[in-house]
Amino acid sequence: MTQFYTRMGDGKRVTLTKEQILNDIQAGMADAADMAGVPDLTANDIEMLFEIISNKNRIVGVEPGNEVIVSYDIGQLDFTGDNGNSGNGVDVGRMEAALLHERALGADTFELAHADYSIKPVKPVIACEMQAMEEIQNEIVIPYFYGAMPNAGLYYAPDGPYGNPADLMREFRIEEAMKAAELTAEHLAKDIEYVAPKLVAAGADGFNFDTTASAGDADFVGTLYGVEALRKACPETYIMLGMAGESVMGIHGSIEYRGEAVAGKYPHQQVKMAEKAGANVFGPVVNTNTSKSLAWNMARSVTFVKECVKAASIPCHVNMGMGVGGIPMWETAPIDAVTRCNKAMVEVAKVDGV
Amino acid sequence: MADNKKALHDAVIAYKVDGIKEAVDNARKAGMPAGEIIDAMGDGMTEVGILFERGKLFLPHVLSAAQGMKSAMEVLGPELKDSGDASTKRASVVMGTVEGDVHDIGKSICSTMLQCAGFDVHDLGRDVAKSAFINEIKGGCTMCGMSALMTTTMTVQRDVIEILKAEGMRDKVIVMVGGAPVTQAYADKIGADLYGETASETTSKAKAISK
Repeated sequence: MTQFYTRMGDGKRVTLTKEQILNDIQAGMADAADMAGVPDLTANDIEMLFEIISNKNRIVGVEPGNEVIVSYDIGQLDFTGDNGNSGNGVDVGRMEAALLHERALGADTFELAHADYSIKPVKPVIACEMQAMEEIQNEIVIPYFYGAMPNAGLYYAPDGPYGNPADLMREFRIEEAMKAAELTAEHLAKDIEYVAPKLVAAGADGFNFDTTASAGDADFVGTLYGVEALRKACPETYIMLGMAGESVMGIHGSIEYRGEAVAGKYPHQQVKMAEKAGANVFGPVVNTNTSKSLAWNMARSVTFVKECVKAASIPCHVNMGMGVGGIPMWETAPIDAVTRCNKAMVEVAKVDGV
Repeated sequence: MADNKKALHDAVIAYKVDGIKEAVDNARKAGMPAGEIIDAMGDGMTEVGILFERGKLFLPHVLSAAQGMKSAMEVLGPELKDSGDASTKRASVVMGTVEGDVHDIGKSICSTMLQCAGFDVHDLGRDVAKSAFINEIKGGCTMCGMSALMTTTMTVQRDVIEILKAEGMRDKVIVMVGGAPVTQAYADKIGADLYGETASETTSKAKAISK
């Protein structure tokens, strides 16, 4: 029986038969469809996924004409960060990193980022960030944004002024925990309103909110209200809103954005909230299960994202990298898996960008 | 008895403290042993954990269910002691995010789930020194759960295991590891006893291994 080289979600090389791959595609798809209440993939989609997985070439690509926008997050940190921080340990300046992405790496957009890549720590160095933005904008041609994670975790103890919901809840102080989350959402929105328009004023073509909702539903609500404030302050600016996972974690459980609870929302529902807040682009994220195969993870991710794209009125740039989008959790993501997952997202889920 | 088991299970999933208390009262009146009542509620909590991870229930709901269980245990605990049935007692677990790493949401959810499952959880928080894990184990914890969100900090999990070996304590403790970059293969490589992909999987495996 023919065996096809493929991978597990932790990057391990394995060989599977056609039947095993198809079973995993079905199972991954079914998991996503069940969780999010979205339709299964079509028979044609499943066939395409199998062809992508079983392709004998190490690297695959989209067909000519199907190319999409490639935007980047994390700014210069993909050079300067260490391997654990999605970087390569190459110490270059922010200007050099921006120009290398534009002129050597084919980036369609790029961004300036603070070393901590979070909204809150930008506040005390906002003038430095504005200066850097202005200087780099004088040299770069491609759209150049400012990027940061909302990272509401920094507002909870011990980093911030509000009680840590996880700690409070373990002591059954549930109402206090929920109140702390609500105050955090308000604080985060105010910080976004403070930071983001200043960077736009310094020349940023837009703002990228990355890994939104990593600290749960209050993180998402704070970001959405922050996006609203930025849209009001800067009607023409370009706003990207990317997520942290396929489901919004209910740390609060019932905190609402414009009358609708956000906990447990899936990509096709998240995107509608991003639109309402005023985002121009939405970045769906689906986390990889390291114990399942590439086929399982790819099918699951595509099932979530296909419905998101269908529901969206704005472009969707899916997050693809280590441990997301079906790609294995591996420091240097295997190129065979990276290209396969990207092809599947573009040609099956029909994303507008990566 | 089967009806009572189902009622207890369903009451926990409905996560209302009063509902759980009522189901426990009914089960006791029907003569159900304390150990069986606790087991039925424990099964309900396992399902609550799964529903949480599938985005159907949220953290306050999980804790509300746990609060109901805690209230029930205040009544059932003494009965359990009197009957000499210690089958539902679980291990003491030291939990923490390893030193150098400040990401603790996943670890905190895992601690909560373990607490709900009846473990005695000593959650040391985040950026926890290796020595702090060791001290808790010396103090009586028989399970040790370490979380890491970064590839640069996951190596501390291995360091703690090596210290346990060097101090001749490795056989006395069940080591659990988890966190975004951690995989079953890595857990096997560093000699951990248990890897959890999710909080509910960790709890299920911890329950199974601690029996």
